[in-house]
Amino acid sequence: MPSILRTARANRWHYAYLFILPILALFGLFRIYPSIQTLAYSFFDINLVSKVFKPVGLKNFLLLARDNTFQKAVGNTVIFAVWIVVASTAIGLVLASLFTSKMRAAGLFKAVYFAPFITSTVAAAVVWTFLYNPRFGLFNSLLQLAGLPTRGWISSSKDALASIIIFSIWKTIGYNMIIFIAGLQNVPDSFHEAAIIDGAGGIRRFFSISIPLVAPTTIFVVMYNTILALKVFDQVFVLTAGGPADATTVVVLQIYKQAFENYRFGYAASMAFVLFVLVISITILQYRLSRRWETSF
Amino acid sequence: MRKALLCLVLLLLVPALLVMAADKKKLVFWYPAGEITATSMPFRDGSNPWAAFEAANNCQVEVVAIDYDTMQQKVFTALAGGKAPDIAMIDFSWMGGFIKDGALAAIPDADAKAWMSSVSPETVAISDWGGGKMYGFSTWGVDAYALTWNKEMFKEAGLDPNVAPKYWADFRAYSKKTAVADSSGKLTRVGYAIRHLGQPHGIVDKWHWLLVGAGMQLNTDPFALKGGSSKINTADTRAGLQMAHDMVWVDKSTSLDFPDPRQCLLTKIASMQISELVSIQVRAPKEAPDLQWGFAPPPAMRAGVDPKVQVAAWNYSVFNQSKEKNLALKAVAWFNNQVNDYTQAKKYNSTPRYKANWASDPFVSAPNTKAFMDLLKYATTYPRSLALNGILDAVGAAVPKVLHNEAAVADALAEAETKANEAIAAVQ
Repeated sequence: MPSILRTARANRWHYAYLFILPILALFGLFRIYPSIQTLAYSFFDINLVSKVFKPVGLKNFLLLARDNTFQKAVGNTVIFAVWIVVASTAIGLVLASLFTSKMRAAGLFKAVYFAPFITSTVAAAVVWTFLYNPRFGLFNSLLQLAGLPTRGWISSSKDALASIIIFSIWKTIGYNMIIFIAGLQNVPDSFHEAAIIDGAGGIRRFFSISIPLVAPTTIFVVMYNTILALKVFDQVFVLTAGGPADATTVVVLQIYKQAFENYRFGYAASMAFVLFVLVISITILQYRLSRRWETSF
Repeated sequence: MRKALLCLVLLLLVPALLVMAADKKKLVFWYPAGEITATSMPFRDGSNPWAAFEAANNCQVEVVAIDYDTMQQKVFTALAGGKAPDIAMIDFSWMGGFIKDGALAAIPDADAKAWMSSVSPETVAISDWGGGKMYGFSTWGVDAYALTWNKEMFKEAGLDPNVAPKYWADFRAYSKKTAVADSSGKLTRVGYAIRHLGQPHGIVDKWHWLLVGAGMQLNTDPFALKGGSSKINTADTRAGLQMAHDMVWVDKSTSLDFPDPRQCLLTKIASMQISELVSIQVRAPKEAPDLQWGFAPPPAMRAGVDPKVQVAAWNYSVFNQSKEKNLALKAVAWFNNQVNDYTQAKKYNSTPRYKANWASDPFVSAPNTKAFMDLLKYATTYPRSLALNGILDAVGAAVPKVLHNEAAVADALAEAETKANEAIAAVQ
């Protein structure tokens, strides 16, 4: 009997595989199979009403390369992802540092910052459409009270993407904060005590001890937020539907529009495949960079 | 013994009741929710307009409200999943796409012929899909896009409250005169309320008077289901869209910060707007009972050029997927018969479709009937192209880009023309 099989039998690996088989089967059925099917669809023109599948080769991908709106969507998605990852990670880490220190009512503040994360994105976005209203919204009212010029927010093509980014940061900092709290709590107190003895202040300890020692947590938060940000849809659909004038269109929204508004399922599938390649590439790159960063500490 | 007898009776009765209930056929009917079209009022005011049909045909019509902005997608998704409703109110601009996919049932020839010979000319114009073929019955209260204005605001600005601007130049001047700004220069009332966000087809509807009035041709062959071409990027359409842009950014007589144009007129934060006349007619008595308003054809480009009044309507259409197709076709024919047309148009203060109803009171002697008929002299309809969906998407994307300074007029219209012609080529 080959050695690997002997080892497997000795370690009873077959039981382990048997236990994870159901979840692997579901993963295959609901994740792997649809992904392969989507790639296959991208080589067809599809009419789901008449059930006609016409093979078109690489035509959908060639059209994609010339599609200005899709290129704008990719650009907007990348800009959105960069802002969300950087801002919500940084703010989450700062908040976590504050709330792991012994401050009063830390529990209450944690709940307040975490609440947006557990709120339905669609419901929250609907409320924010009123907050962003240029005529009677709260934000412009506050700007007027402060004597500042009002903004168009989601009605203005210049402000709309920033408005969605602000909403998304508000929505995600709570989750990042909780993850970082868990990470910071694993940093031994002795490191901080030693640093205090050596005369290091709070900020110095934050940059020299907390940040390096929560590197694994930071890597996870960055990768998780990157993947989520690249797939953004809900808040864009509710707040602006990709407008005004495609100013906030993102990749997943374009996939939705091509599939369900223009009935071009094959073309939408080609976009979905491009997004899949983009997400996988960025994730692999981040993973490789993070391994280097981790080992340097 | 008694208990056993009771159980036996129940055991026999319950299945019998279930069978009786199952005998009652069911039709599912979808309509657009909210204030999108005044013609959905019968389904929003608590009455059951299908009651008589249900009683006469031992059936039940389940009425379902669907959000307008996602209705087209929901209908298509339902079709793709084999779960389409039996009947739906379909926006005229969507019909080409559904007909192209074989989704809509043709109205039986006899019913179509009877309809065409009984209804007014503008209703015939929007019902005919070539050779007298129909794929739905258009609703009462035809959407005729008129300029509506607040007479008090005109008077306040020193303008004749009973006379609308006739040409683009006057219209622009009227908008400047009737706009009101506060001390910081921020508009509190626009001269002309505009549509610049949302469903592209809705945007084209609201700017049709300007673009088609400037000679834009969505399809050079208006009755061809396939073929033709779009002529969008012309000198006159560029001039028209540039004027719209300049009204926002140069004149500052209108703004991107105001809500739906009809809402603006009814809440008195706009002095003029151009949209479906029937919307204001039906909504004003309830939402703005003291509003003194007038209507007229939209302004024409210049002297010697006719204004353009877009005429369209929602349609009661039956889907080929319907398991009760014959009953559904019977239902839409009944719903749109002469008696119901008269009753509903009268109840909702709107306009009928049948010539005989137009000749009856209150319509024949209504003070606005002549003005409405004058409006219809300039009626134009969308082309019958199966690519209409794509054409309207292209144009509807170009207008907001210009209004929001995302693209120059020439670039936006050139792109729209390219995309519209690609859509036409795709249905060859």
